[in-house]
Amino acid sequence: MGVIGYGLGVIGAGIGIGLAAYGATTSMARQPEVQGRLFTVFILGSAFVEALALIGFVVTLIAS
Amino acid sequence: MNALSKLPEAMDELLDGFMSHAVVGNTTVGLTQYIFWMFVALALFVVAILAFKRKQAQSLVPHGFFVNGMEYVVEFVRDDMCKSILGDTWKKHFPFIAALFFFILFNNIVGIIPGCHPGTGTMGVTAALALCSFVYFIVVGCKRMGVIGYLKSLAPKGLPGPMAAMVWVIELFSTFLRLITLAVRLFCNMFAGHVVMGTFAILASLFFEPLLQGFSAAALGSAAGSVFWVLILIIIYLVEILVAVIQAYVFTLLSAVYIQLVEQEE
Repeated sequence: MGVIGYGLGVIGAGIGIGLAAYGATTSMARQPEVQGRLFTVFILGSAFVEALALIGFVVTLIAS
Repeated sequence: MNALSKLPEAMDELLDGFMSHAVVGNTTVGLTQYIFWMFVALALFVVAILAFKRKQAQSLVPHGFFVNGMEYVVEFVRDDMCKSILGDTWKKHFPFIAALFFFILFNNIVGIIPGCHPGTGTMGVTAALALCSFVYFIVVGCKRMGVIGYLKSLAPKGLPGPMAAMVWVIELFSTFLRLITLAVRLFCNMFAGHVVMGTFAILASLFFEPLLQGFSAAALGSAAGSVFWVLILIIIYLVEILVAVIQAYVFTLLSAVYIQLVEQEE
């Protein structure tokens, strides 16, 4: 059961990182000069989202 | 599949290996394996910095891979984290931020080496690091605005009375939440990454086992599966190297952002 729970939880994180990458690539295509700064923001945002998925993973392992 | 049925048992063993075990003394007084590797990383860090300082002093122009590489990383921390976020006040906070970055980076990199443990792979170390950064930005805020001024500055100005009180409580809560998220993010990334790597290593060895017991067509097929797991393991290993650097970067960057938030306050 815990494994299914982790799979469900990771859907949200997947959507989140996908949205972040979408936003980053579109704005980089429109304005290539801001690439450097955007990359920082993108990595930060991804780290926030990814942390949620990883919390789910660790809690699954600890609970099982 | 015979090999897959053994996985849960092996996983339990793996997870047990990730729990804190005492290397010297016991778990109350002594070193666990994580703290042991943290000291190893700290020693490497100090040796690297001292060697860098000595080599740098030898000539005005940097020579060689080591000195140039270290200078590149230090400049990256200075320009990308300090100057771009903290603005004019970067000089005051640069030592703290650089120390934080290098300590976490060395811990993560040491943890990547097979057989070693990351010092940041246990909640104790990451919580201590997060507490350092938490206390640092609160002290900076209190020094700039005074204790009362800092507490007042949590709520934005210009809000009507009851609204301001509510926002203040929420902001206070979110300030303490920073402490938890900083610690949990780093810990979860390192712990989860190592568990995933361990799982694929176990899968590879379980699928290879039948070939050692006796040569047959089925055993050969299973060994071919093992090659697949090893390939995935290598890819995840590369991703983990990336994660080790990114997590050090994210932790430090967030600390810098929190410091900037109290520095920019009126």
